[in-house]
Amino acid sequence: MASAPQDFRFGNFVGSIVWLVFWILIIVTLIGLPLIFITLFYVPLPPVNGEVLTPYLFFSMMVDPSRTLPIIKFLIHTDIFRVAVFPGFSYAALIAAATIFIERKFLAKMQLRIGPLYAGKIEGILQLIADGLKLISKEIIIPSGADKPIFWATPIAFVATAAAVVALIPVAPGWVVANVNVGLIATFAFLGFFPLFALLFSWASNSKYPFIGGLRALHQMIAFEIPFILSALPVVILSGSLNLSDIGSAQHPFWFIFFLPISAFVFFISSLAELERIPFDLPEAESEIVAGWLTETSGMIYGLLQLGTYVKLYALAALFVILFLGGWTGPQIFPMELTPGYTGVKIYNAVTVNAAFWFTIKTLGVIMLMLLPRGINPRIRIDILLHTGWYKLIVLSFINIFIALGLVYGGILGPGGLLPG
Amino acid sequence: MTDFEQKVDETMKMGLQIVKETEEDRLMTLSVGPQHPGSGHFRFTVKVDGDYIVYCDPDPGYVHRGEEKMSEYRNFIQNIPHLERPVIHDSNNITYSYSLAVEELVNIEVPRRGQYIRALASELNRQVYTLYWLAIYGIFLGHSTMFMWPTGDRELFIDLLEALTGARVTHAFNIPGGVRNDIPEGFKDRCLRQIAYFEKRLVEYEDIFYNNPLFRQRTEGVGTLSKEDAIRLGVTGSVVRASGVPFDVRKVEPYDIYNEIDFKVQYMKSGDSFARSMVPFFDMRESCHIMRQLLDKMPPTGEVRTKLQPNPKGPAGESYKRVESGRGALGYYIISDGSPKPYRVKISVGSFRNMLALPFLLIGSKLGDMPSIYWSLNYWPVEADR
Amino acid sequence: MTNSSARDFIKAIESGSKHLVIKRFTLRYPEEKLKFVGDGYQFDPKKGVGIAGYRGRHILFHDKCTGCQLCAIACEGIAEAIGMVKVNEQWKHNKKAIMPQIDFGKCVFCGLCVDACPFYALYMTDDYELSAFTKEHLIYTPAQLAVKPKYDGDVTIKIDRRGADHG
Repeated sequence: MASAPQDFRFGNFVGSIVWLVFWILIIVTLIGLPLIFITLFYVPLPPVNGEVLTPYLFFSMMVDPSRTLPIIKFLIHTDIFRVAVFPGFSYAALIAAATIFIERKFLAKMQLRIGPLYAGKIEGILQLIADGLKLISKEIIIPSGADKPIFWATPIAFVATAAAVVALIPVAPGWVVANVNVGLIATFAFLGFFPLFALLFSWASNSKYPFIGGLRALHQMIAFEIPFILSALPVVILSGSLNLSDIGSAQHPFWFIFFLPISAFVFFISSLAELERIPFDLPEAESEIVAGWLTETSGMIYGLLQLGTYVKLYALAALFVILFLGGWTGPQIFPMELTPGYTGVKIYNAVTVNAAFWFTIKTLGVIMLMLLPRGINPRIRIDILLHTGWYKLIVLSFINIFIALGLVYGGILGPGGLLPG
Repeated sequence: MTDFEQKVDETMKMGLQIVKETEEDRLMTLSVGPQHPGSGHFRFTVKVDGDYIVYCDPDPGYVHRGEEKMSEYRNFIQNIPHLERPVIHDSNNITYSYSLAVEELVNIEVPRRGQYIRALASELNRQVYTLYWLAIYGIFLGHSTMFMWPTGDRELFIDLLEALTGARVTHAFNIPGGVRNDIPEGFKDRCLRQIAYFEKRLVEYEDIFYNNPLFRQRTEGVGTLSKEDAIRLGVTGSVVRASGVPFDVRKVEPYDIYNEIDFKVQYMKSGDSFARSMVPFFDMRESCHIMRQLLDKMPPTGEVRTKLQPNPKGPAGESYKRVESGRGALGYYIISDGSPKPYRVKISVGSFRNMLALPFLLIGSKLGDMPSIYWSLNYWPVEADR
Repeated sequence: MTNSSARDFIKAIESGSKHLVIKRFTLRYPEEKLKFVGDGYQFDPKKGVGIAGYRGRHILFHDKCTGCQLCAIACEGIAEAIGMVKVNEQWKHNKKAIMPQIDFGKCVFCGLCVDACPFYALYMTDDYELSAFTKEHLIYTPAQLAVKPKYDGDVTIKIDRRGADHG
């Protein structure tokens, strides 16, 4: 500390509070209120109780809580809610943020130490907010000779593609952002973009260590895409459809992991390799190639890439849950009616809440399982990695395809088989 | 041409080929420099052809502080605080060798209890250094748990050393004539309890790191140094013991009371990176046995230090003594001209000699093997630069 | 993968998961402080050997210091952190009325000045929390050195069946 701390003067304190109140008033009146009015004028709102919903009616309804329930119910079922809040981006980002924090604390406990401790009163809960603020406030340094358009565009494209994979995942029956009939293949198509982003970014960085890291990322991700797709094939064979919601609901007496354990194992290992997690984090191998293809990132670009990586972690864990662990099926533990005898507008739907609850629990369980190898294994070398990806995992996934075909043609599963569903 | 001239000719041709290929952009030059998470205070340049290293040039000298020259301006006792700084976390070994050399020059003898305490401090420091080395080896290979566990267990020994010497890392404990203070109360029980707990921890290290198939795949067969090459290059310490030569200064030229202690020299025959990382692990186990024997056999009472005049000086002469430190044979060669300040102090460290094996092993290996070869050579940059 | 490597993997996972129930080893510093055995490093000039203790800040006993400057001479070759200054006290054994002042910005806490003092006047204590806002505040005058610090750490390493921790 080079200088002594300043003394506290009450006049300065009051002055700063007055200044703050002044600015809040200016911003709310000049910008906030006009925005609210513009939204309410131009966004189409439903007629409620036979009257058109004007802004003045809207504000008068806010006074009486029982009259706002239809609006909330309407808003929950719009598309924007699904994209932004529930099975969409906010949910994924919240789970991603919780994953980062849990990962640090979980690894710390395994390593006999305390993780983040000082941010927030209870054992460092606000650490992520502190990290986010720190990353926003740092300067973004672009190396000279770097290809600026690609350098800026790639992290944004990375997060966008990860969010696109999240958009395909059904959380509860009927709650999916994009219900496409070829959902599984669309997921693989999106995942095929990630090696491209790694290569583009490393080439655009114009530096040696990212170059090596980008090539390693390319080799690794392409080598593991094939076992990834092959291990999802038996699931399609057993359930008969490519739509992720149908796969989820086709597992109701027995989950597919009981019939396809080898496939689940291969899928798990391939998803660890797609996510560049330890033991497969060669593209970011710290002690050999500084930080791999992320070397030249700084500030918010690094923040965006980390956010994209953890959203992708959630997406792949959710995919594992849907394909092998039964999606949202689980015993109904929520009561069908919260307050028996209520005859007004209902927002609570017990089936949906139950489905979302079980899905979240299972996804968090799979995420914890994906965090475990980080504390146990060292990094693998590139030739051993390629050997494993191209030889061993493809052979293992073929074994399970034959088992699945045998089960279907032997009449045990599938339509007309011994087991229902 | 004679054999030697033929070898020179071949080396020149290879060097010119490398220069030509670099200019054609076929080889890429990477500077694994001081600003690199995988190198420490040391720089080496490698030229890479795809994934294979074809040329390596170590570049030490970033931490040179002139320890040897500084020693000529201070008297024999004032030299201790700065001479322990080259390897500060193994400080009891680097001052042990100095004290032995000065005692020979000034012609004094250390009492027996002092010798036992010196050996105890030296063994404790050996554990501290080896655990730190193991921690960094883990993180170089990407195993963050293997970084945290040894660093945590090192606390057990640092705690003991702090009770014994008064400071956690900068001990300044050995001086010519003996050690500076006696063992405090309750030390022996504490020491035995913590050593017993540490031996249980070593079993955990074996489970999660040494028997981990991923670690074995990365280090077995990598950077093999045969027995003849090891002797020819002059490497020392755990590197030469991993290549099949059972050389340990404590057994070959026992100093102080090491001829009364019963222990086996740990060595392995394969000479690859895996052997070089297992030998310090066996050394740590052996060190626990040695510490137990030292605590048992120590004479219960006695002096720990010979009284010296404030500015000790001896007749003109020279002396050379060496000691087994965590990295190998560490020797001091001191020339005195009859005054209280030494005329010349030459420190011969194990790290500098192990550095010779680095280009020899790196050329021809893959880039992914670089961290495991480099750090398994037990190289501490600050000590090599003095 | 052969059978033995599958078994080794499972042992590694078992070892890692076992650590989820072992106690954490961290010392939570400002709330918990380490306990030191003894009273600080001291030296007995008659016997010529020191007494084990922690080497923290020095303590100067004004009723024993004679101003002989041996501590300053010892430190000249090491860190040049001790300088002698005039004090405003009259002592029978300190006719020159000079005492050492120590600059903790330069001191390396080696304790050789304590070894050099022949009058039992300079010892070291347990106090290691010496931060200051300016470099001038780090120079401790003889009056400041005479104050005995209050240090009450009480945490040691405890080993039991669930692991070792600082408690």
